[in-house]
Amino acid sequence: MIKLEPEILQAVEKPARYTGHELNAVHKDWDGVDCHFALAMADTYEVGMSNLGLKILYEVLNNRQDTACERVYAPWTDMEAIMRDKSIPLFSLESFTEIRKFDFLGFTLQYEMIYSNILNMLDLAGIPIWAKNRSEKDPFILGGGPTVYNTEPIADFFDFFVLGEGEEVITEVAEAFVKWKKDGKPGGRKGFLKEAAKLEGIYVPSFYEVKYNEKGYFSSITPKEPEAKAKIFKRVIKDLDRVHFVEKPVMPYIGIVHDRIMLELFRGCTRGCRFCQAGTSYRPIRERSREYLRGLARKLVDSSGYNEMSLTSLSSADYSCLGELVDDLFSDFEGEKVSFSLPSLRIDSFSIDLAHKMQQVRKSGLTFAPEAGTQRLRDVINKGVTEENLMTAVEAAFKQGWKQVKLYFMMGLPTETDEDIVGIARLAEKVARKYKEVKGKWGVTVTISVSCFVPKPHTPFQWFGQLPKDEFERRQRLLKDSITERAVKFHYHDARVSVLEGAISRGDRRISKVIYQAWTDGAKFDGWTDLFKEDVWHEAFRKCGIDMKEYSERTRDFGEPLPWEHTTPGVSKEFLKREWDKAIAEQLTEDCRRGKCSGCGVCPSLKVDIVDWKRREGEVKASV
Amino acid sequence: MYKYRAQLTKGDEIRYISHLDYAGVMERAIRRAKLPAAYTEGFNPHLKMSFASPLSLGVTSDAEYMDFELTKPLCQPEIFDKLSAALPPGIKLIKLKPVKEPKPCEGKKHKALMAEVEQGIYEVVAPLIGDWDAAVKAVEKYNSAHEVNYHRVTPKKTRDIEVKQYMLEPVKIGMSGEWVKLTMNISITQTGSIKPAEILELLHTEYGLPVALGRALINRSKLMGQGKDLIDLV
Ligand code: SF4
Repeated sequence: MIKLEPEILQAVEKPARYTGHELNAVHKDWDGVDCHFALAMADTYEVGMSNLGLKILYEVLNNRQDTACERVYAPWTDMEAIMRDKSIPLFSLESFTEIRKFDFLGFTLQYEMIYSNILNMLDLAGIPIWAKNRSEKDPFILGGGPTVYNTEPIADFFDFFVLGEGEEVITEVAEAFVKWKKDGKPGGRKGFLKEAAKLEGIYVPSFYEVKYNEKGYFSSITPKEPEAKAKIFKRVIKDLDRVHFVEKPVMPYIGIVHDRIMLELFRGCTRGCRFCQAGTSYRPIRERSREYLRGLARKLVDSSGYNEMSLTSLSSADYSCLGELVDDLFSDFEGEKVSFSLPSLRIDSFSIDLAHKMQQVRKSGLTFAPEAGTQRLRDVINKGVTEENLMTAVEAAFKQGWKQVKLYFMMGLPTETDEDIVGIARLAEKVARKYKEVKGKWGVTVTISVSCFVPKPHTPFQWFGQLPKDEFERRQRLLKDSITERAVKFHYHDARVSVLEGAISRGDRRISKVIYQAWTDGAKFDGWTDLFKEDVWHEAFRKCGIDMKEYSERTRDFGEPLPWEHTTPGVSKEFLKREWDKAIAEQLTEDCRRGKCSGCGVCPSLKVDIVDWKRREGEVKASV
Repeated sequence: MYKYRAQLTKGDEIRYISHLDYAGVMERAIRRAKLPAAYTEGFNPHLKMSFASPLSLGVTSDAEYMDFELTKPLCQPEIFDKLSAALPPGIKLIKLKPVKEPKPCEGKKHKALMAEVEQGIYEVVAPLIGDWDAAVKAVEKYNSAHEVNYHRVTPKKTRDIEVKQYMLEPVKIGMSGEWVKLTMNISITQTGSIKPAEILELLHTEYGLPVALGRALINRSKLMGQGKDLIDLV
């Protein structure tokens, strides 16, 4: 057990990150269970504690009699320095046990820029960084989460990956482990990995051989072991009413990023934005029922004491019975001073009315995501939103009294021209002028927040070469100079980080050397602007003899094998190519949620169906 | 409105959470306890609650005080049991009393909890790393000094504080096992006070108290006004 002396805790920022003992944390007798699972996020306590996936898996695992699940997050740099200085190994927040004593260490893979932190945590735990160097006494290192649809850049650091939704497969992993352990660990470490590889959705990277062609491009990946599948499909929960959701969240003593209840209404979003990886990887739409959600909301308020609840999903306003659900929640929690919020709004007056009803604190403003500045480009990305939609929505908002609007855009999308960039400024200015028109005076702030587009695997834009950093920066300047209205404020993302993300997210196994090198040279917390060391990364690519631009800027050939195709969310390559062609032709694709199936392949290949209550109603009516 | 005063602990588990975080934790505990709590008006309603003198980060306490209001009068045992059951590890409810508001004809209202605080008693333990006699001498020397200055450096400003004006009693020294135990009775005024950690630092650096400063632990055992525990002022 690790005990931190007061002088250490007094010396670090926010010491409660490291002291545990939170309400609802689960403490089990170490020797009373067969399987010890540590769940990790390679980011700070405040970020890690806010992650919904980890909260769910923590409860799912701890609900098993034979398993104890504990938490661990990345120590901040001040704490890390002390831990290294005093040889304190990474420890868990429940039993304060050294992480290397666990059977599993599972990382949630939220975004590429935390990869260096994963290496750092392994190192702090005293676990060999390369999977091949691990011995029988080391934990199995696994990963799952959003970036799991191209794990090749980190494949050599992990023993296995879990693709897709984890509630069911994680218990299968625990079961397989307990059985293997009780059988006397046949075949050792590799023996267990063979068992794991048999499970649907599990990818064991060391069981594959990767080849590259004479040009140096990835050419194939083939199984070396009989248990390894040629293609691994993600796991998907068919009925979200029948799977465990958080009921007793661990309650932090200090403020965290999302310090509120998260009630997940549904999974999936099939609006079909062509840049969006979440849109392809969480298909199809599966809604929870209103009754189930209502019950969950009650349990969560009672067990947490939170007075804020966020109705989360990829596009919460699309929930079939949102109006009714909100009414239910209002009446259930009347007098309990619970406030509700939607993390994102659809660009229509329904959303505005709802937001108004939910009394979202007005000062915080409203957020919309038109994503592109011109209709042409919005058609390219299949963002089915018109300028008129936006104007109607903001008009409604201004009439209801909002004074602050935030607009999200992306820069560097396929086919983008300077006209599209200037279009962002024009659109924002129209929104600002709309306020004057409605209110008869100025007094609005329109903030435009522009990110740099990163092409992602398993999206229709997966072949597209990302813009060079300098070009992003030129377009940022162009946009800045195009804004003439004082009411419009401009924020943009750091292009240096986006191009690195661009290289890693479509990387192959050779990128792991670069990540290792960068970490060795001091890269960590790359997602934190002040700590991002651009030169360390460039130098790492150079030292490894790898051209970063080959990965970020090169437009892939449609016929070319891509390094991520064997780990798939079930969306077919044909569909993605079709969507690319339609993008270039500026044609829209309908949302399959209530419209017709666009043949992405997910439902048939995963044997799953859309669950949308409104659609079902329609179907029932149609069949009568 | 029905006002209550609670005496709570801040245990070892949560010694590193701030005063503000402690208040947030208590707010959620009251909500979990399903007490008919009174809220402030406005867009962002908060529980009507107030706290006595804030503790420094790292200090535990047997004497945290909180006043809060309910919209209905419940009997003391009911509130006590419900609130106790809802507290997180690290906080225990020691005592609870209704606050009797003076009748309007009696004039002034109850003072704010914060303003009632006049005195705090702290126990400091630290491992002895030398001679016991030297420790006793150091404390004696400190106690007999007429004037002691502490140079307080904060991110915003630095200033010198005369410490002895806040010492209500001489520092007492005792021993338990390998640990030196000091008791400090400190005056807390509207215009200022001195922290037990600062006195310990002075004892160590200026008066040669041979203890391991980095392993010292501080506990607030009492918080008083008019010579009584705050819970007995209502
Ligand atoms: S298979 Fe059809 S219905 Fe299912 S998610 Fe894909 S497009 Fe939608």
